[in-house]
Amino acid sequence: MIRFVDATKVYSNGVVGLRNATVKIEKGEFVFIIGPSGSGKSTFLKLIMHEEVPTDGEVYVNGYSVHDMPRSEVPYLRRSLGVVFQDFRLLPNKTAYDNVAFAMQIVEATSREIRRQVPLALGLVGLSKKAKAYPNQLSGGEQQRVVLARALVNNPAVLIADEPTGNLDPKTSWEIMNLLEEINQRGTTVIVATHEKSIVDAMKKRVITLDRGDIKSDEQKGIYFNED
Amino acid sequence: MKIRTLKLLVKEGANNVVKNKLMSFASTMTVVVTLFFLGIILLIAVNITSNIEAMKRELRLTVFLKIDVSPFHREEFVNFIEEKKEAGIITDYVIISKEQMYEDMKQILEDEVFLKGLTVDNMAESFEIKLANPDDSDELIKQISEFRGVNSENGIGYGKDELNKLEAILKVFNYIVMAVLAVLMVISVFLISNTIRLTVFARRRQIEIMKYIGALDSFIRWPFIIEGLLIGFIGAVLSFIFTSLAYSWIQNVMNVILTNLNLATLSILEFSPVALQIFVIYSIFGVIIGGIGSFLSVRKHLNV
Repeated sequence: MIRFVDATKVYSNGVVGLRNATVKIEKGEFVFIIGPSGSGKSTFLKLIMHEEVPTDGEVYVNGYSVHDMPRSEVPYLRRSLGVVFQDFRLLPNKTAYDNVAFAMQIVEATSREIRRQVPLALGLVGLSKKAKAYPNQLSGGEQQRVVLARALVNNPAVLIADEPTGNLDPKTSWEIMNLLEEINQRGTTVIVATHEKSIVDAMKKRVITLDRGDIKSDEQKGIYFNED
Repeated sequence: MKIRTLKLLVKEGANNVVKNKLMSFASTMTVVVTLFFLGIILLIAVNITSNIEAMKRELRLTVFLKIDVSPFHREEFVNFIEEKKEAGIITDYVIISKEQMYEDMKQILEDEVFLKGLTVDNMAESFEIKLANPDDSDELIKQISEFRGVNSENGIGYGKDELNKLEAILKVFNYIVMAVLAVLMVISVFLISNTIRLTVFARRRQIEIMKYIGALDSFIRWPFIIEGLLIGFIGAVLSFIFTSLAYSWIQNVMNVILTNLNLATLSILEFSPVALQIFVIYSIFGVIIGGIGSFLSVRKHLNV
């Protein structure tokens, strides 16, 4: 499903984002990517999304060779991924419904498909009643649910979340994490980059720990690595 | 691209125009001004050309026969002219007889002194010939000068050279106009591309989101291109309205001036017969300016 083979990313300013990473994530897994700021979490996710390409080594995602792929194929790779950000990134001038529908319009879904899928996705994240609200009328947790609905509406094989709870209070964070787990149980691979020690420790999922670009550990049912 | 996607993209593009009112207004106005100048200059050129053409049509070829022309040679020439008239090359001709010429001379010279010694027999018969197409004149003059009955040395006159000079001036005028228009168009393209750049900048977050969701490059680009095309087209329509208003005003003023200057033979064309052509030219230019402007901007600033 996702495979890094000796993948290295050195930025043009000389900073090493990721060094000789070899890792494999199977279909249906739930994986935490953890590590301090600058450890390479974001680089790891960016390589999956083809926002960056490895300077060395290989990255395979959902059958695409990310390290060596024509520009024109990038949108198709991204359609096989759902992405959730810390800062939500919703379109402020569109309602919750339209934000989710927009993701389907982009992949040229029919209006019938849109009318069927969008309420389902909003229902899944528990936001059916707020479909007509604009982002600024929603709480942080609700906005992140809309983002989740948008990420899921096209049925991606992999869901990537970069600090999805970074802007949320602990209670709401847990709601979002529970939703991610539910989504994972439906068969979607979920990859979450996070700082939240309590969540990682409690959920007992696979944990890949990064430090200054190196994979420091990769443990099933891991915990947030102790800095002492 | 599917029809529903096209609809969506056109809607997005139109929304952009409405949302960025100020910038849309500014770039629309540059298109309006550019096309307005284009139109006025074009109309001036059309008017000058049509007046020159009208003058050319009024031009007559004057051919003097030799004073001592034999009846046979005269007959030969008359037959030739008749032939050309039947062929449609000559629309009409008038023969000015020796007697007529003598009478005219009397009128012109007035003073008896100059007329002393001049009799009807000193006069040459002449032909005033009207051509169907002034462009045939060179060929016809060449043929006429070969007739033995024709005073080919200095008996053939045609006022075309003066008009040719006018036409040459018009040509230079056209080149200058084209250069000015090219500059105006570059400015318009630049301003539109700036407008689109600002839209791209204002919507960079949305573009980023679209990229993450997996939008094709074309899906991201088209609304901006459509925005440019719309600005160009709206500019064209507005400019057309202004041009027609300005032209009818100019037409009235010019007609008064020409009448006062006793130049009523010169005429200012009506707008309505050329209105459709002007509109089509405006639309094409407007859309091209808008399209190029937004395309440049999208290519440069929309790094997708």
